[in-house]
Amino acid sequence: MMPTETSSLSRGEMLKRLRAEHGESVERTQQLLREQKRVQQEVCKSIREKAKTVPEIAEELGMKPADVLWYLASFRKYGLVVEEGMCGDYPLYRKAEEK
Amino acid sequence: MTKIHVDALVVGGGIAGMQTALDLGDQGYQVALVEKEPSVGGKMITLSKVFPTLDCCSCITTPKMSAVAHHPKIQLFTYCEVDRVDGQDGEFTVSVVQKPRYVNADICTGCRLCEYECPITVPSMFDRGLGSYHAVRVPFSTAVPQIAVLDIEYCLLCGKCEKVCPVGAVDFTQTPETFEIDTTSIVLATGFEMTDVSAKKEYGAGRLSNVIDPLMMERFLAPTGPYGRVLRPGDGMEPTTIAYVQCAGSRDETLGIEYCSRTCCMYAIKQSMLISGALPLAEVTIFYMDIRTFGKGYEQFYQNAKAMGVEFVRGKVASIQEDENHYPIVRVELTEEGRVVERTFDLVVLSLGMVLGDPLARFGLQPAEDGFASLPSVNASPWATTRPGVFVAGTAGGPMDIVDSIVTASAAASAASAYIRSKTQVSIEEGEVAYV
Ligand SMILES: Cc1cc2nc3c(=O)[nH]c(=O)nc-3n(C[C@H](O)[C@H](O)[C@H](O)COP(=O)(O)OP(=O)(O)OC[C@H]3O[C@@H](n4cnc5c(N)ncnc54)[C@H](O)[C@@H]3O)c2cc1C
Ligand code: SF4
Ligand code: SF4
Repeated sequence: MMPTETSSLSRGEMLKRLRAEHGESVERTQQLLREQKRVQQEVCKSIREKAKTVPEIAEELGMKPADVLWYLASFRKYGLVVEEGMCGDYPLYRKAEEK
Repeated sequence: MTKIHVDALVVGGGIAGMQTALDLGDQGYQVALVEKEPSVGGKMITLSKVFPTLDCCSCITTPKMSAVAHHPKIQLFTYCEVDRVDGQDGEFTVSVVQKPRYVNADICTGCRLCEYECPITVPSMFDRGLGSYHAVRVPFSTAVPQIAVLDIEYCLLCGKCEKVCPVGAVDFTQTPETFEIDTTSIVLATGFEMTDVSAKKEYGAGRLSNVIDPLMMERFLAPTGPYGRVLRPGDGMEPTTIAYVQCAGSRDETLGIEYCSRTCCMYAIKQSMLISGALPLAEVTIFYMDIRTFGKGYEQFYQNAKAMGVEFVRGKVASIQEDENHYPIVRVELTEEGRVVERTFDLVVLSLGMVLGDPLARFGLQPAEDGFASLPSVNASPWATTRPGVFVAGTAGGPMDIVDSIVTASAAASAASAYIRSKTQVSIEEGEVAYV
Protein backbone atom coordinates (compact mmCIF):
# COMPACT_ATOMS: atom_id res chain seq x y z
CA MET A 1 0.00 0.00 0.00
CA MET A 2 1.30 3.43 -0.91
CA PRO A 3 1.69 5.59 2.18
CA THR A 4 -0.65 8.48 1.48
CA GLU A 5 0.99 11.83 1.59
CA THR A 6 0.22 13.79 4.69
CA SER A 7 -0.09 17.50 4.29
CA SER A 8 2.47 19.72 5.91
CA LEU A 9 -0.42 21.51 7.62
CA SER A 10 -1.19 20.59 11.22
CA ARG A 11 -4.27 18.51 12.03
CA GLY A 12 -6.15 21.58 13.22
CA GLU A 13 -5.31 23.59 10.12
CA MET A 14 -6.19 20.65 7.92
CA LEU A 15 -9.58 20.16 9.60
CA LYS A 16 -10.26 23.85 9.11
CA ARG A 17 -9.40 23.50 5.46
CA LEU A 18 -11.54 20.37 5.07
CA ARG A 19 -14.45 22.21 6.75
CA ALA A 20 -14.07 25.06 4.28
CA GLU A 21 -13.70 22.77 1.26
CA HIS A 22 -16.54 20.46 2.26
CA GLY A 23 -18.82 23.04 3.87
CA GLU A 24 -21.72 22.11 1.64
CA SER A 25 -21.50 18.35 2.22
CA VAL A 26 -20.99 18.81 5.98
CA GLU A 27 -24.13 20.94 6.13
CA ARG A 28 -26.09 18.44 4.04
CA THR A 29 -24.85 15.60 6.25
CA GLN A 30 -25.78 17.49 9.42
CA GLN A 31 -29.33 17.79 8.12
CA LEU A 32 -29.29 14.11 7.21
CA LEU A 33 -28.11 13.23 10.72
CA ARG A 34 -30.98 15.21 12.29
CA GLU A 35 -33.41 13.37 10.02
CA GLN A 36 -31.84 9.99 10.82
CA LYS A 37 -32.02 10.64 14.57
CA ARG A 38 -35.68 11.65 14.30
CA VAL A 39 -36.59 8.55 12.25
CA GLN A 40 -34.62 6.28 14.57
CA GLN A 41 -36.46 7.66 17.58
CA GLU A 42 -39.87 7.35 15.96
CA VAL A 43 -39.30 3.86 14.56
CA CYS A 44 -37.88 2.56 17.84
CA LYS A 45 -40.81 4.05 19.74
CA SER A 46 -43.27 2.49 17.34
CA ILE A 47 -41.83 -1.04 17.69
CA ARG A 48 -40.74 -0.97 21.34
CA GLU A 49 -43.78 -2.83 22.66
CA LYS A 50 -45.11 -4.57 19.57
CA ALA A 51 -43.44 -6.04 16.47
CA LYS A 52 -44.69 -4.51 13.21
CA THR A 53 -44.30 -4.89 9.46
CA VAL A 54 -42.77 -2.32 7.12
CA PRO A 55 -46.14 -1.14 5.71
CA GLU A 56 -47.57 -0.79 9.25
CA ILE A 57 -44.66 1.36 10.42
CA ALA A 58 -44.74 3.36 7.18
CA GLU A 59 -48.41 4.14 7.55
CA GLU A 60 -48.07 5.05 11.22
CA LEU A 61 -45.15 7.42 10.61
CA GLY A 62 -46.27 8.74 7.22
CA MET A 63 -43.12 7.51 5.52
CA LYS A 64 -42.44 5.70 2.24
CA PRO A 65 -42.30 1.90 2.91
CA ALA A 66 -39.02 1.65 0.95
CA ASP A 67 -37.41 4.21 3.27
CA VAL A 68 -38.67 2.39 6.37
CA LEU A 69 -37.15 -0.83 5.06
CA TRP A 70 -33.81 0.90 4.47
CA TYR A 71 -33.73 2.15 8.04
CA LEU A 72 -34.81 -1.22 9.47
CA ALA A 73 -32.11 -3.00 7.46
CA SER A 74 -29.56 -0.63 8.92
CA PHE A 75 -30.88 -0.94 12.49
CA ARG A 76 -30.85 -4.72 12.10
CA LYS A 77 -27.26 -4.70 10.89
CA TYR A 78 -26.10 -2.67 13.88
CA GLY A 79 -28.17 -4.65 16.42
CA LEU A 80 -30.89 -2.09 17.23
CA VAL A 81 -33.77 -4.07 15.78
CA VAL A 82 -34.57 -7.78 15.50
CA GLU A 83 -36.91 -9.75 13.28
CA GLU A 84 -39.71 -11.51 15.13
CA GLY A 85 -41.80 -13.87 12.99
CA MET A 86 -44.03 -13.03 10.06
CA CYS A 87 -47.42 -11.47 9.51
CA GLY A 88 -48.60 -12.94 6.20
CA ASP A 89 -45.87 -12.22 3.65
CA TYR A 90 -44.20 -9.55 5.76
CA PRO A 91 -41.50 -10.02 8.42
CA LEU A 92 -42.18 -8.35 11.75
CA TYR A 93 -39.59 -6.08 13.35
CA ARG A 94 -39.17 -5.24 17.02
CA LYS A 95 -36.74 -3.10 18.94
CA ALA A 96 -33.86 -5.21 20.30
CA GLU A 97 -33.43 -5.55 24.06
CA GLU A 98 -31.11 -2.86 25.46
CA LYS A 99 -27.73 -4.39 26.22
CA MET B 1 7.65 11.65 -6.37
CA THR B 2 7.69 8.00 -5.36
CA LYS B 3 8.51 5.68 -8.25
CA ILE B 4 8.41 1.91 -8.39
CA HIS B 5 9.61 -0.50 -11.08
CA VAL B 6 7.78 -3.66 -12.02
CA ASP B 7 7.58 -6.14 -14.87
CA ALA B 8 3.81 -5.99 -15.10
CA LEU B 9 1.13 -3.59 -14.01
CA VAL B 10 -2.33 -5.12 -13.67
CA VAL B 11 -5.15 -2.58 -13.58
CA GLY B 12 -8.32 -3.81 -11.85
CA GLY B 13 -8.57 -6.25 -8.96
CA GLY B 14 -11.66 -8.24 -9.95
CA ILE B 15 -11.39 -11.96 -10.54
CA ALA B 16 -9.59 -11.45 -13.87
CA GLY B 17 -7.00 -8.97 -12.54
CA MET B 18 -6.33 -11.07 -9.45
CA GLN B 19 -5.80 -14.20 -11.53
CA THR B 20 -3.41 -12.41 -13.91
CA ALA B 21 -1.43 -10.94 -11.01
CA LEU B 22 -1.17 -14.33 -9.28
CA ASP B 23 -0.08 -16.13 -12.46
CA LEU B 24 2.62 -13.54 -13.17
CA GLY B 25 3.71 -13.38 -9.53
CA ASP B 26 3.99 -17.17 -9.37
CA GLN B 27 6.30 -17.05 -12.40
CA GLY B 28 8.59 -14.73 -10.49
CA TYR B 29 7.71 -11.41 -12.11
CA GLN B 30 7.37 -8.26 -10.08
CA VAL B 31 3.74 -7.19 -10.30
CA ALA B 32 1.82 -4.09 -9.26
CA LEU B 33 -1.95 -4.56 -8.92
CA VAL B 34 -3.91 -1.31 -8.89
CA GLU B 35 -7.58 -1.28 -7.81
CA LYS B 36 -9.74 1.82 -7.67
CA GLU B 37 -12.01 0.62 -4.86
CA PRO B 38 -10.86 0.28 -1.22
CA SER B 39 -10.93 -3.55 -1.58
CA VAL B 40 -10.14 -6.03 -4.31
CA GLY B 41 -12.75 -8.60 -5.36
CA GLY B 42 -14.68 -6.80 -8.11
CA LYS B 43 -18.24 -7.87 -8.89
CA MET B 44 -17.55 -11.48 -8.01
CA ILE B 45 -17.20 -10.85 -4.28
CA THR B 46 -20.71 -9.37 -4.25
CA LEU B 47 -22.30 -12.49 -5.80
CA SER B 48 -24.10 -15.16 -3.77
CA LYS B 49 -23.30 -18.44 -5.51
CA VAL B 50 -21.87 -19.21 -8.94
CA PHE B 51 -23.32 -21.07 -11.87
CA PRO B 52 -23.11 -23.85 -12.86
CA THR B 53 -21.82 -25.46 -9.65
CA LEU B 54 -23.70 -23.30 -7.13
CA ASP B 55 -20.49 -23.02 -5.11
CA CYS B 56 -20.34 -20.24 -2.55
CA CYS B 57 -18.85 -17.27 -4.37
CA SER B 58 -17.07 -15.83 -1.40
CA CYS B 59 -15.40 -19.22 -0.75
CA ILE B 60 -13.77 -19.04 -4.18
CA THR B 61 -12.99 -15.32 -4.24
CA THR B 62 -11.66 -14.61 -0.75
CA PRO B 63 -8.67 -16.99 -0.97
CA LYS B 64 -7.60 -15.22 -4.18
CA MET B 65 -8.11 -11.82 -2.57
CA SER B 66 -5.96 -12.78 0.34
CA ALA B 67 -3.36 -14.42 -1.96
CA VAL B 68 -2.82 -11.19 -3.94
CA ALA B 69 -2.43 -9.25 -0.72
CA HIS B 70 0.19 -11.63 0.69
CA HIS B 71 2.09 -12.64 -2.44
CA PRO B 72 5.78 -11.70 -2.12
CA LYS B 73 5.95 -10.62 -5.77
CA ILE B 74 2.72 -8.59 -5.86
CA GLN B 75 2.44 -5.04 -4.62
CA LEU B 76 -1.22 -4.25 -4.06
CA PHE B 77 -2.44 -0.66 -4.35
CA THR B 78 -6.10 -0.24 -3.44
CA TYR B 79 -8.14 2.98 -3.61
CA CYS B 80 -5.86 4.11 -6.45
CA GLU B 81 -6.76 5.46 -9.88
CA VAL B 82 -4.60 5.26 -12.97
CA ASP B 83 -4.30 8.80 -14.22
CA ARG B 84 -2.14 8.51 -17.35
CA VAL B 85 -0.05 6.01 -19.28
CA ASP B 86 3.03 7.43 -21.02
CA GLY B 87 5.66 5.65 -23.09
CA GLN B 88 5.32 2.70 -25.38
CA ASP B 89 6.44 -0.74 -26.36
CA GLY B 90 7.84 -2.16 -23.15
CA GLU B 91 8.72 1.14 -21.51
CA PHE B 92 5.64 2.52 -19.86
CA THR B 93 5.41 5.11 -17.12
CA VAL B 94 2.04 5.05 -15.44
CA SER B 95 0.94 7.80 -13.15
CA VAL B 96 -1.34 6.63 -10.36
CA VAL B 97 -3.25 8.66 -7.79
CA GLN B 98 -3.65 7.26 -4.29
CA LYS B 99 -6.93 8.65 -2.98
CA PRO B 100 -6.93 9.62 0.69
CA ARG B 101 -8.58 7.06 2.97
CA TYR B 102 -8.21 9.51 5.88
CA VAL B 103 -7.03 6.40 7.73
CA ASN B 104 -3.39 5.41 8.09
CA ALA B 105 -3.27 2.10 6.21
CA ASP B 106 -0.04 1.05 7.92
CA ILE B 107 -1.48 1.02 11.41
CA CYS B 108 -5.27 0.46 11.03
CA THR B 109 -6.12 -2.99 12.41
CA GLY B 110 -9.63 -3.16 10.90
CA CYS B 111 -11.20 -3.32 14.37
CA ARG B 112 -14.23 -1.26 13.23
CA LEU B 113 -14.52 0.73 16.42
CA CYS B 114 -14.58 3.90 14.28
CA GLU B 115 -17.45 2.47 12.23
CA TYR B 116 -19.55 1.68 15.30
CA GLU B 117 -18.91 5.17 16.69
CA CYS B 118 -19.64 7.17 13.54
CA PRO B 119 -23.11 8.75 13.90
CA ILE B 120 -24.04 8.98 10.24
CA THR B 121 -25.52 6.12 8.21
CA VAL B 122 -25.10 6.06 4.44
CA PRO B 123 -26.31 3.76 1.65
CA SER B 124 -23.89 0.88 1.12
CA MET B 125 -22.74 0.67 -2.47
CA PHE B 126 -21.64 -2.90 -1.78
CA ASP B 127 -25.35 -3.65 -1.31
CA ARG B 128 -26.29 -1.46 -4.29
CA GLY B 129 -27.67 1.23 -2.03
CA LEU B 130 -30.20 -1.05 -0.32
CA GLY B 131 -28.09 -1.72 2.75
CA SER B 132 -26.11 0.73 4.83
CA TYR B 133 -22.80 1.43 6.50
CA HIS B 134 -21.25 4.43 8.19
CA ALA B 135 -19.22 7.30 6.75
CA VAL B 136 -16.10 5.55 8.06
CA ARG B 137 -16.08 1.78 7.69
CA VAL B 138 -14.25 -1.35 6.66
CA PRO B 139 -15.89 -1.67 3.20
CA PHE B 140 -17.40 -5.14 3.81
CA SER B 141 -16.80 -8.13 6.04
CA THR B 142 -14.40 -9.98 3.71
CA ALA B 143 -12.71 -6.86 2.27
CA VAL B 144 -9.02 -7.11 1.44
CA PRO B 145 -7.27 -5.22 2.87
CA GLN B 146 -9.22 -4.99 6.13
CA ILE B 147 -8.58 -1.29 6.45
CA ALA B 148 -11.14 1.41 7.13
CA VAL B 149 -11.93 4.14 4.63
CA LEU B 150 -13.60 7.45 5.42
CA ASP B 151 -16.05 8.92 2.92
CA ILE B 152 -15.44 12.65 3.18
CA GLU B 153 -18.61 13.44 1.20
CA TYR B 154 -20.72 12.09 4.08
CA CYS B 155 -18.43 13.10 6.93
CA LEU B 156 -19.54 15.56 9.61
CA LEU B 157 -15.89 16.12 10.57
CA CYS B 158 -17.03 15.52 14.15
CA GLY B 159 -13.86 13.64 15.09
CA LYS B 160 -15.63 10.85 16.99
CA CYS B 161 -13.88 8.15 14.96
CA GLU B 162 -10.54 9.79 15.60
CA LYS B 163 -11.13 9.76 19.36
CA VAL B 164 -12.25 6.15 19.54
CA CYS B 165 -9.56 4.62 17.31
CA PRO B 166 -7.26 2.67 19.65
CA VAL B 167 -4.19 3.08 17.45
CA GLY B 168 -4.67 6.66 16.27
CA ALA B 169 -5.13 5.65 12.64
CA VAL B 170 -7.73 8.24 11.58
CA ASP B 171 -5.78 10.95 9.80
CA PHE B 172 -7.45 14.08 8.44
CA THR B 173 -4.18 15.41 7.07
CA GLN B 174 -4.06 12.98 4.15
CA THR B 175 -4.25 14.40 0.63
CA PRO B 176 -4.27 12.68 -2.78
CA GLU B 177 -0.79 11.53 -3.75
CA THR B 178 0.47 10.81 -7.23
CA PHE B 179 3.15 8.18 -7.73
CA GLU B 180 4.64 6.56 -10.80
CA ILE B 181 5.02 2.97 -11.87
CA ASP B 182 7.61 2.08 -14.50
CA THR B 183 6.58 -1.14 -16.14
CA THR B 184 7.39 -3.35 -19.10
CA SER B 185 3.82 -4.53 -19.65
CA ILE B 186 0.28 -3.61 -18.67
CA VAL B 187 -2.73 -5.90 -18.29
CA LEU B 188 -6.06 -4.15 -18.38
CA ALA B 189 -8.63 -5.92 -16.20
CA THR B 190 -10.97 -3.05 -15.47
CA GLY B 191 -14.10 -5.14 -15.89
CA PHE B 192 -17.67 -4.26 -16.73
CA GLU B 193 -20.69 -2.35 -15.51
CA MET B 194 -24.28 -3.35 -16.00
CA THR B 195 -26.33 -1.54 -18.64
CA ASP B 196 -27.91 1.58 -17.24
CA VAL B 197 -31.25 0.67 -15.71
CA SER B 198 -32.58 4.17 -16.38
CA ALA B 199 -31.98 3.88 -20.14
CA LYS B 200 -35.00 1.69 -20.82
CA LYS B 201 -38.05 3.93 -20.35
CA GLU B 202 -40.44 1.09 -21.26
CA TYR B 203 -39.21 -0.86 -18.22
CA GLY B 204 -39.75 2.00 -15.78
CA ALA B 205 -36.34 3.63 -16.16
CA GLY B 206 -35.25 2.52 -12.69
CA ARG B 207 -38.14 4.31 -10.99
CA LEU B 208 -40.31 1.31 -10.08
CA SER B 209 -39.50 0.25 -6.53
CA ASN B 210 -40.20 -3.45 -7.09
CA VAL B 211 -38.29 -3.74 -10.35
CA ILE B 212 -34.68 -4.44 -9.46
CA ASP B 213 -31.33 -5.15 -11.07
CA PRO B 214 -29.78 -8.64 -10.83
CA LEU B 215 -26.88 -7.62 -8.59
CA MET B 216 -29.47 -6.54 -6.01
CA MET B 217 -30.92 -10.05 -6.16
CA GLU B 218 -27.40 -11.47 -5.72
CA ARG B 219 -27.13 -9.44 -2.49
CA PHE B 220 -30.57 -10.61 -1.27
CA LEU B 221 -29.50 -14.22 -1.86
CA ALA B 222 -26.14 -13.79 -0.10
CA PRO B 223 -26.05 -14.57 3.62
CA THR B 224 -24.49 -11.14 4.23
CA GLY B 225 -27.16 -9.30 2.22
CA PRO B 226 -28.95 -6.16 3.39
CA TYR B 227 -32.09 -7.88 4.71
CA GLY B 228 -30.62 -11.30 5.54
CA ARG B 229 -33.31 -12.79 3.25
CA VAL B 230 -35.12 -12.12 -0.03
CA LEU B 231 -37.56 -9.21 0.35
CA ARG B 232 -38.83 -6.78 -2.22
CA PRO B 233 -37.27 -3.37 -1.61
CA GLY B 234 -40.48 -1.39 -2.16
CA ASP B 235 -42.15 -2.48 1.09
CA GLY B 236 -40.33 -5.43 2.68
CA MET B 237 -42.70 -8.12 1.41
CA GLU B 238 -41.43 -11.66 0.93
CA PRO B 239 -42.22 -12.12 -2.77
CA THR B 240 -44.11 -15.17 -4.01
CA THR B 241 -44.28 -14.39 -7.73
CA ILE B 242 -41.04 -13.24 -9.31
CA ALA B 243 -40.37 -12.56 -13.00
CA TYR B 244 -37.11 -12.27 -14.89
CA VAL B 245 -36.99 -10.16 -18.04
CA GLN B 246 -34.19 -11.46 -20.25
CA CYS B 247 -32.14 -9.34 -22.64
CA ALA B 248 -33.14 -6.21 -20.71
CA GLY B 249 -30.34 -4.08 -22.06
CA SER B 250 -28.73 -6.54 -24.48
CA ARG B 251 -29.58 -7.39 -28.09
CA ASP B 252 -31.48 -4.12 -28.13
CA GLU B 253 -30.89 -1.75 -31.03
CA THR B 254 -32.81 1.06 -29.33
CA LEU B 255 -30.10 1.15 -26.65
CA GLY B 256 -27.28 0.76 -29.15
CA ILE B 257 -26.33 -2.54 -27.48
CA GLU B 258 -26.74 -5.15 -30.12
CA TYR B 259 -24.61 -7.93 -28.64
CA CYS B 260 -25.56 -10.77 -26.29
CA SER B 261 -24.13 -10.26 -22.79
CA ARG B 262 -23.50 -13.98 -22.45
CA THR B 263 -24.09 -14.25 -18.71
CA CYS B 264 -27.68 -13.07 -18.17
CA CYS B 265 -29.45 -16.31 -19.16
CA MET B 266 -27.23 -18.28 -16.83
CA TYR B 267 -27.38 -15.91 -13.85
CA ALA B 268 -31.19 -15.66 -14.19
CA ILE B 269 -31.45 -19.47 -14.16
CA LYS B 270 -29.05 -19.61 -11.21
CA GLN B 271 -30.96 -17.00 -9.23
CA SER B 272 -34.28 -18.71 -9.94
CA MET B 273 -32.88 -21.95 -8.50
CA LEU B 274 -31.51 -20.15 -5.45
CA ILE B 275 -34.85 -18.37 -4.95
CA SER B 276 -36.63 -21.74 -5.04
CA GLY B 277 -34.27 -22.84 -2.26
CA ALA B 278 -34.70 -19.69 -0.19
CA LEU B 279 -38.47 -19.32 -0.74
CA PRO B 280 -39.95 -22.78 -1.36
CA LEU B 281 -43.39 -21.34 -2.16
CA ALA B 282 -42.10 -18.84 -4.72
CA GLU B 283 -43.03 -19.15 -8.38
CA VAL B 284 -40.37 -17.88 -10.77
CA THR B 285 -41.13 -17.02 -14.41
CA ILE B 286 -38.40 -16.24 -16.93
CA PHE B 287 -39.46 -14.27 -20.05
CA TYR B 288 -36.89 -14.93 -22.76
CA MET B 289 -36.25 -14.57 -26.48
CA ASP B 290 -33.98 -17.63 -26.52
CA ILE B 291 -31.95 -19.25 -23.77
CA ARG B 292 -28.21 -19.37 -24.40
CA THR B 293 -26.44 -22.02 -22.33
CA PHE B 294 -23.15 -22.44 -24.15
CA GLY B 295 -20.71 -23.50 -21.40
CA LYS B 296 -19.67 -26.76 -19.81
CA GLY B 297 -22.54 -28.14 -17.77
CA TYR B 298 -24.75 -25.11 -18.59
CA GLU B 299 -27.46 -26.87 -20.61
CA GLN B 300 -27.89 -29.44 -17.84
CA PHE B 301 -28.18 -26.57 -15.36
CA TYR B 302 -31.02 -25.11 -17.46
CA GLN B 303 -32.78 -28.47 -17.65
CA ASN B 304 -32.47 -28.83 -13.86
CA ALA B 305 -34.14 -25.44 -13.38
CA LYS B 306 -37.02 -26.53 -15.60
CA ALA B 307 -37.33 -29.76 -13.64
CA MET B 308 -37.45 -27.73 -10.43
CA GLY B 309 -40.53 -25.93 -11.75
CA VAL B 310 -39.10 -22.63 -12.98
CA GLU B 311 -41.47 -21.40 -15.70
CA PHE B 312 -39.81 -20.42 -18.98
CA VAL B 313 -42.04 -18.28 -21.22
CA ARG B 314 -40.92 -17.33 -24.70
CA GLY B 315 -41.88 -13.73 -25.28
CA LYS B 316 -40.75 -10.19 -25.75
CA VAL B 317 -41.50 -7.92 -22.83
CA ALA B 318 -42.90 -4.70 -24.28
CA SER B 319 -43.32 -2.73 -21.08
CA ILE B 320 -43.40 -2.83 -17.29
CA GLN B 321 -45.71 -0.59 -15.30
CA GLU B 322 -46.96 -0.79 -11.75
CA ASP B 323 -50.41 -0.89 -10.17
CA GLU B 324 -51.53 1.41 -7.34
CA ASN B 325 -49.88 -0.87 -4.76
CA HIS B 326 -46.57 -0.87 -6.67
CA TYR B 327 -46.93 -4.43 -7.98
CA PRO B 328 -45.14 -4.57 -11.35
CA ILE B 329 -47.31 -5.42 -14.38
CA VAL B 330 -45.40 -7.07 -17.22
CA ARG B 331 -46.84 -6.68 -20.72
CA VAL B 332 -45.45 -9.41 -22.89
CA GLU B 333 -45.87 -10.45 -26.48
CA LEU B 334 -45.95 -14.26 -26.51
CA THR B 335 -44.05 -14.74 -29.76
CA GLU B 336 -45.02 -18.37 -30.30
CA GLU B 337 -48.73 -17.77 -29.69
CA GLY B 338 -48.88 -14.39 -31.37
CA ARG B 339 -50.79 -12.63 -28.58
CA VAL B 340 -50.07 -10.05 -25.92
CA VAL B 341 -50.77 -10.68 -22.23
CA GLU B 342 -50.33 -8.71 -19.01
CA ARG B 343 -49.22 -10.44 -15.82
CA THR B 344 -48.76 -8.94 -12.38
CA PHE B 345 -45.87 -10.02 -10.13
CA ASP B 346 -44.63 -9.24 -6.64
CA LEU B 347 -41.13 -8.53 -7.92
CA VAL B 348 -39.42 -8.20 -11.31
CA VAL B 349 -35.71 -8.64 -11.98
CA LEU B 350 -34.27 -7.07 -15.13
CA SER B 351 -31.56 -9.30 -16.57
CA LEU B 352 -29.36 -6.34 -17.47
CA GLY B 353 -26.47 -6.68 -19.86
CA MET B 354 -22.81 -5.83 -19.60
CA VAL B 355 -21.07 -2.69 -20.86
CA LEU B 356 -17.47 -1.53 -20.50
CA GLY B 357 -16.71 -0.31 -16.97
CA ASP B 358 -13.93 2.21 -17.25
CA PRO B 359 -13.08 4.40 -20.26
CA LEU B 360 -10.17 3.13 -22.33
CA ALA B 361 -8.78 6.47 -23.47
CA ARG B 362 -6.41 6.96 -20.54
CA PHE B 363 -4.75 3.67 -21.47
CA GLY B 364 -4.34 4.85 -25.05
CA LEU B 365 -6.69 2.14 -26.28
CA GLN B 366 -9.46 2.23 -28.85
CA PRO B 367 -12.89 0.80 -28.17
CA ALA B 368 -14.28 -1.76 -30.61
CA GLU B 369 -17.77 -1.32 -32.04
CA ASP B 370 -19.28 -2.89 -28.92
CA GLY B 371 -17.51 -0.34 -26.68
CA PHE B 372 -15.15 -2.90 -25.09
CA ALA B 373 -11.40 -2.92 -25.78
CA SER B 374 -10.62 -3.46 -29.42
CA LEU B 375 -8.91 -6.82 -29.98
CA PRO B 376 -7.41 -6.60 -33.47
CA SER B 377 -6.70 -10.32 -33.86
CA VAL B 378 -9.41 -11.78 -31.71
CA ASN B 379 -9.16 -15.28 -33.19
CA ALA B 380 -5.41 -15.64 -32.99
CA SER B 381 -4.63 -13.69 -29.81
CA PRO B 382 -7.73 -12.54 -27.94
CA TRP B 383 -5.59 -10.96 -25.20
CA ALA B 384 -3.75 -8.49 -27.47
CA THR B 385 -4.91 -4.87 -27.71
CA THR B 386 -4.02 -2.26 -30.31
CA ARG B 387 -1.09 -1.11 -28.16
CA PRO B 388 1.97 -3.42 -28.03
CA GLY B 389 2.73 -4.43 -24.45
CA VAL B 390 -0.83 -3.77 -23.27
CA PHE B 391 -2.99 -6.88 -22.79
CA VAL B 392 -6.58 -7.41 -21.75
CA ALA B 393 -8.11 -9.87 -19.29
CA GLY B 394 -11.70 -10.61 -18.34
CA THR B 395 -14.73 -8.48 -19.14
CA ALA B 396 -12.72 -5.39 -20.14
CA GLY B 397 -12.45 -7.22 -23.47
CA GLY B 398 -16.14 -8.14 -23.76
CA PRO B 399 -18.98 -9.80 -21.85
CA MET B 400 -18.03 -13.14 -20.32
CA ASP B 401 -18.58 -15.23 -17.23
CA ILE B 402 -16.16 -16.11 -14.44
CA VAL B 403 -14.83 -19.24 -16.12
CA ASP B 404 -13.89 -17.28 -19.23
CA SER B 405 -12.60 -14.34 -17.19
CA ILE B 406 -10.17 -16.69 -15.48
CA VAL B 407 -9.17 -18.33 -18.76
CA THR B 408 -8.50 -14.98 -20.45
CA ALA B 409 -6.69 -13.77 -17.33
CA SER B 410 -4.27 -16.68 -17.44
CA ALA B 411 -3.90 -16.24 -21.20
CA ALA B 412 -3.10 -12.54 -20.74
CA ALA B 413 -0.57 -13.42 -18.03
CA SER B 414 1.07 -15.89 -20.34
CA ALA B 415 1.20 -13.39 -23.21
CA ALA B 416 2.54 -10.69 -20.88
CA SER B 417 5.19 -13.11 -19.60
CA ALA B 418 6.41 -13.85 -23.15
CA TYR B 419 6.40 -10.15 -23.90
CA ILE B 420 8.40 -9.25 -20.78
CA ARG B 421 10.96 -11.91 -21.64
CA SER B 422 11.26 -10.63 -25.20
CA LYS B 423 11.89 -7.11 -23.90
CA THR B 424 14.35 -7.99 -21.18
CA GLN B 425 16.41 -10.45 -23.22
CA VAL B 426 20.06 -9.43 -23.44
CA SER B 427 22.12 -10.97 -26.14
CA ILE B 428 25.43 -12.04 -24.57
CA GLU B 429 26.98 -13.59 -27.59
CA GLU B 430 25.40 -14.45 -30.82
CA GLY B 431 23.15 -17.40 -30.34
CA GLU B 432 23.27 -17.18 -26.57
CA VAL B 433 20.51 -15.51 -24.65
CA ALA B 434 20.13 -14.56 -21.01
CA TYR B 435 17.13 -13.17 -19.22
CA VAL B 436 17.53 -10.37 -16.73
C1 LIG C 1 -25.97 -10.42 -11.58
C2 LIG C 1 -24.77 -11.15 -12.08
C3 LIG C 1 -24.55 -12.45 -11.68
C4 LIG C 1 -23.46 -13.18 -12.18
N1 LIG C 1 -23.31 -14.49 -11.79
C5 LIG C 1 -22.28 -15.21 -12.33
C6 LIG C 1 -22.13 -16.59 -11.99
O1 LIG C 1 -22.88 -17.15 -11.19
N2 LIG C 1 -21.11 -17.31 -12.59
C7 LIG C 1 -20.27 -16.73 -13.50
O2 LIG C 1 -19.40 -17.42 -14.04
N3 LIG C 1 -20.38 -15.39 -13.81
C8 LIG C 1 -21.37 -14.63 -13.24
N4 LIG C 1 -21.47 -13.30 -13.56
C9 LIG C 1 -20.43 -12.68 -14.40
C10 LIG C 1 -19.22 -12.25 -13.52
O3 LIG C 1 -19.66 -11.30 -12.59
C11 LIG C 1 -18.10 -11.69 -14.37
O4 LIG C 1 -17.74 -12.62 -15.34
C12 LIG C 1 -16.84 -11.38 -13.57
O5 LIG C 1 -17.14 -10.72 -12.37
C13 LIG C 1 -15.91 -10.50 -14.41
O6 LIG C 1 -14.75 -10.22 -13.69
P1 LIG C 1 -13.76 -9.05 -14.12
O7 LIG C 1 -12.57 -9.14 -13.24
O8 LIG C 1 -13.55 -9.08 -15.59
O9 LIG C 1 -14.56 -7.67 -13.86
P2 LIG C 1 -15.03 -6.94 -12.51
O10 LIG C 1 -15.57 -7.89 -11.54
O11 LIG C 1 -15.90 -5.81 -12.99
O12 LIG C 1 -13.68 -6.35 -11.90
C14 LIG C 1 -13.06 -5.20 -12.40
C15 LIG C 1 -12.27 -4.54 -11.29
O13 LIG C 1 -11.52 -3.47 -11.82
C16 LIG C 1 -11.67 -2.32 -11.00
N5 LIG C 1 -11.45 -1.14 -11.86
C17 LIG C 1 -12.26 -0.67 -12.84
N6 LIG C 1 -11.69 0.41 -13.41
C18 LIG C 1 -10.50 0.61 -12.78
C19 LIG C 1 -9.46 1.58 -12.93
N7 LIG C 1 -9.52 2.54 -13.84
N8 LIG C 1 -8.39 1.50 -12.12
C20 LIG C 1 -8.32 0.51 -11.19
N9 LIG C 1 -9.26 -0.42 -11.01
C21 LIG C 1 -10.35 -0.38 -11.80
C22 LIG C 1 -13.09 -2.44 -10.47
O14 LIG C 1 -13.27 -1.68 -9.30
C23 LIG C 1 -13.18 -3.95 -10.22
O15 LIG C 1 -12.70 -4.30 -8.96
C24 LIG C 1 -22.55 -12.56 -13.08
C25 LIG C 1 -22.74 -11.22 -13.46
C26 LIG C 1 -23.85 -10.53 -12.99
C27 LIG C 1 -24.07 -9.11 -13.44
S1 SF4 D 1 -15.53 12.43 11.68
FE1 SF4 D 1 -16.79 11.70 9.97
S2 SF4 D 1 -16.30 9.55 9.76
FE2 SF4 D 1 -15.54 10.21 11.77
S3 SF4 D 1 -17.21 9.73 13.18
FE3 SF4 D 1 -17.52 11.85 12.53
S4 SF4 D 1 -18.90 11.69 10.74
FE4 SF4 D 1 -18.07 9.66 11.10
S1 SF4 E 1 -9.32 3.35 11.82
FE1 SF4 E 1 -8.88 2.75 13.94
S2 SF4 E 1 -10.90 2.29 14.81
FE2 SF4 E 1 -11.13 2.30 12.58
S3 SF4 E 1 -10.84 0.16 11.96
FE3 SF4 E 1 -8.84 1.16 11.81
S4 SF4 E 1 -7.85 0.77 13.78
FE4 SF4 E 1 -10.04 0.36 14.09
